[in-house]
Amino acid sequence: MSLALIVLLPFLGALLPGLLIRSGRNACATATASVTVLALALLLVHTPAVLRGEVVQAGWDWLPGLGLNANFFLDGLGLLFAGLILGIGLLIIIYARFYLSEKDPMGLFYTYLLLFQGAMVGVVLSDNILLLLVFWELTSLSSFLLIGYWRHLPAGRQGARMALVVTGGGGLAMIAGMLLLGQMAGSYDLSVILERGEQIQASPLYLPTLLLILVGCFTKSAQFPFHFWLPHAMAAPTPVSAYLHSATMVKAGIFLLARLWPVLAGTDVWFYLVATTGLFTMVLAAGIALFKDDLKGLLAYSTVSHLGLVTFLFGLGSPMAAAAGVFHIINHATFKAALFMSAGIVDHETGTRHIPRLGGLMHLMPVTATLAMVAAASMAGIPPFNGFISKEMMLEQAAHTPWAGLPWLVPAAATLGAVFSVAYALRYAVHVFWGPPRADYPRRPHDPAAGFWLPPAVLVALVVIIGLFPEQTAGPLVRAAADAVTGGALPDLHLYLWHGLTPALGMSVVALLGGAALLWRYGDAWARWRAGPHPEAKTMYDAAMARLVAASQYIIHTLHNGALQRYLAVMLASAVVLGYAAFSGAAHLPGTRETLEIFPVAGVLWLLMAGGCWLAVAHHRQRLLAVVAVSVVGLMVSIGFLYLSAPDLALTQISVEVVTTVLMLLALYFLPKRTPEESSGARRVRDGVLAVLAGVGVGGLCWAVLTRDFSTISGYYLDQAVPGGGGANVVNVILVDFRGFDTFGEIIVLGIAALAIYALLEGALRGPAAAHLAAWKGDMPRAADRHPIMMVVATRVMLPLALLVGVYILLRGHNMPGGGFIAGLVVSIALIMQYMASGFQWAARRMAVDYDALIGLGVLVAGATGVAAMVGGYPFLTSAHDYVHLPWVGEVELASAMVFDVGVFLTVVGAVMLALAQVSRLGLVASHEPANEGPMDFDPSTPARTARRDPS
Amino acid sequence: MAIWLEALIALLIVVSGVFILVGSLGLLKLPTLMMRLHAPTKATTLGVGGALLASMGFFWAVEGTISVHELLVTAFLFLTAPVTAHFIAKAHLHLERKRDGGERERLPQTGTGSGWSTYDPAPQTGGEEGDSAPGEG
Repeated sequence: MSLALIVLLPFLGALLPGLLIRSGRNACATATASVTVLALALLLVHTPAVLRGEVVQAGWDWLPGLGLNANFFLDGLGLLFAGLILGIGLLIIIYARFYLSEKDPMGLFYTYLLLFQGAMVGVVLSDNILLLLVFWELTSLSSFLLIGYWRHLPAGRQGARMALVVTGGGGLAMIAGMLLLGQMAGSYDLSVILERGEQIQASPLYLPTLLLILVGCFTKSAQFPFHFWLPHAMAAPTPVSAYLHSATMVKAGIFLLARLWPVLAGTDVWFYLVATTGLFTMVLAAGIALFKDDLKGLLAYSTVSHLGLVTFLFGLGSPMAAAAGVFHIINHATFKAALFMSAGIVDHETGTRHIPRLGGLMHLMPVTATLAMVAAASMAGIPPFNGFISKEMMLEQAAHTPWAGLPWLVPAAATLGAVFSVAYALRYAVHVFWGPPRADYPRRPHDPAAGFWLPPAVLVALVVIIGLFPEQTAGPLVRAAADAVTGGALPDLHLYLWHGLTPALGMSVVALLGGAALLWRYGDAWARWRAGPHPEAKTMYDAAMARLVAASQYIIHTLHNGALQRYLAVMLASAVVLGYAAFSGAAHLPGTRETLEIFPVAGVLWLLMAGGCWLAVAHHRQRLLAVVAVSVVGLMVSIGFLYLSAPDLALTQISVEVVTTVLMLLALYFLPKRTPEESSGARRVRDGVLAVLAGVGVGGLCWAVLTRDFSTISGYYLDQAVPGGGGANVVNVILVDFRGFDTFGEIIVLGIAALAIYALLEGALRGPAAAHLAAWKGDMPRAADRHPIMMVVATRVMLPLALLVGVYILLRGHNMPGGGFIAGLVVSIALIMQYMASGFQWAARRMAVDYDALIGLGVLVAGATGVAAMVGGYPFLTSAHDYVHLPWVGEVELASAMVFDVGVFLTVVGAVMLALAQVSRLGLVASHEPANEGPMDFDPSTPARTARRDPS
Repeated sequence: MAIWLEALIALLIVVSGVFILVGSLGLLKLPTLMMRLHAPTKATTLGVGGALLASMGFFWAVEGTISVHELLVTAFLFLTAPVTAHFIAKAHLHLERKRDGGERERLPQTGTGSGWSTYDPAPQTGGEEGDSAPGEG
């Protein structure tokens, strides 16, 4: 369990910085650091066991049907990475406290940082590859937030977007690869997959899986040709660069290469793909790094180069090379994070990161200079620092590796990479810190406060100690991690500073001399570099993105041009075509059921309905008439329901009709009263043909169904309503019990729809739309009496009556026609009448109810009913009912479904009233008239003051 | 059932039938909207009221139950019919205003000092707030 806690702690802790920033920057940083310290302490508890070779496991089933389990495990590799993430994370948190300025929102930064930390720890501790994918995507997202932290800088935003596109795109490939891998292994659990290496390598799916996973790893770890995003991500604040782009996130791809090493490595494809990419990236990026003038740019390309080095080592496929890779991960994390931090200090103190403007800082900031130069020496591979040992191990491996039958190619390339690496590391030290102090720094530099240089100092101390005593300090951890990577196939491994007179030592000497010579003749080298071609990755990326956007816009605008008629035509046409295809492919017999005779009432109903439809079609341009015609049709449908013994539906339909018509009329007030002519004659013919075909099709279907005997599920509901749901009104029992979850979802949709209406109309109350509305003149004359006495009195008389009916319908709904939905509509209509009679403002002052809160309350009440069932040990929304005997009243049924119905009721009232209130606010803006003081224009019970005549 | 009761119920039904017929005929025959408005609101409402009385009497005398549905129907009818008629009339006046020589000229004086409410603003009354005392202005 404590394993899962290590992952969860940063996520939980991410809440703290935002709260504690109000108590000051120190409190905020301390809280953030303490979260990380706690997670690190939990990790250390497990360390002895893991170093002994045990594997700690914890977890629980999350979605077992999908194979997605929240399983975590900790072995040597996980310990190494989790230790790096949490340990360096802690240093970064301290460093960032001094790095960020007063103006930067520090709480936000620490929140993002902890989110990233949690995601990263999740990646390295997941035992389930689906869970790993979730965390993998979370690292992409949180790094997007961190890179774009300075959102006012265009470079930051663009860099963040580029990083998200590249790593997110790689993440998609990774998802596909992982799913294939799980298919082949028959399980999504890593511990199972790791044991099925042979089975997976023999599968025909091995190659596509490998390619997909490698795309994911290479994008994340910035390997050629996906390396270009990392330098652009350097627009991030330096703590982010030091943390994400040197120590942790970019190593996630390498982590996965190591994690899946026993499964995927060892084949020729693996060697040629991974080792070649790694080697090429190492040499290329080292070459570019040498000529970068931006301090962070130099470090970024050197990071790409070192990631290439580790990738190359894992690609070799031999256990010793993998062990060297693991060791170099530790070493690179220590010296590169220290270098980034000292670059940040230089930037902070001098005000520039441009190398040609720097130099001579040794005399002005000796502490920083010492730290940076030791770290740079380690990066160059100069003994006795830790970088030397792992680089020596890499050269040793390279010396024995032939490539496509050429024994000299790999050693030569590795040596060339090492030459560049020495040259840029020396350049970092010499061009920034050596030489005489200059007079033209943007700011007067000096060593910063101790808190600022202590974090890099800790790392530099590690660089020296690991360099001097590798076996005693890093040995056990490297062995445990390498064991985990290779699956226990590791030969005897010991780390020594002095390897003896090996070919690797010779290559190291060549690299040192070559690098020093290159820096000595830097001017010449730079001139040659300038003359060469410089493919600019950002331009290519931007062009590719622009083409992608143009292509998708073309597709969208062609298919989805915004014409509702077209969508409707396409949908109807496809329905007609599909229906016809199904119809023509089978034999048909007419139904055998006797038809009923037409009763006069039904005949009149039918005629009225058809007439209403015809009226709506014939006069659809006169909108007022169309609304009336549609409401006639709705009224006939409700009567039809009543005629066919469906009183619930009739009640619902009739109240919905009233509310809809009122709201439509209110909205129509702002719209032209006539629809302009849009369709050409041909299109009208097309629409007519489609409408007739679809209508005849639906009519035929209904006819076919109605002339046959069939059984439906309604029999079950009729039988079960009373024993199962405790209600005699089957419709209501279906709504609140059998299909209660549906209803729950529907009231949420209703609430969201009301909020959407609110939001859309809110847009009309602001900006240019509001000015347009304020200047709006109605296209109809206004009556002088806005609130006629007759209307006011009648609605006031109706109000208690209607409310009573509403409550009655709500209470009896479970057993007789009614229910929360109808009751909500009835009460809404009663309230709407008040608004219509006395005006919105007058009524709103007397209705001190928050309608949006009412929606929320309704959803919560309905949800709480469901949760109450869960508390009792039943599935969500299980209803319970009982009968109690009350004095005077008699037997009373109490059902939990009634409480649910109250929730439905509240939501409906809230949604309808919110929509009405918002439309009324529009009316208020457009009316240009002051709100009325009294409920009606003229109240005869108060004496007339004056009989003023209309001046017009 | 007593013969006089039966006769009374029958009479009510016939009389209300006549009223409803007259109302419908009026709706069909009368020349202007304002006139047509009288037919369904007055004659037909009266007719329906008579039919409801007959129904109540029938259930009381024959079935032996007291039916209150009719009372509710009456209440709603008496509430909705005048309001509906009132608003149809108002809408008519309102639309007539746009036409030349419309109803406005033909409307009689209200005799109260104020004009017709659809056309002219209402007389000022002492509002809810006490700041506007009678006699002011």
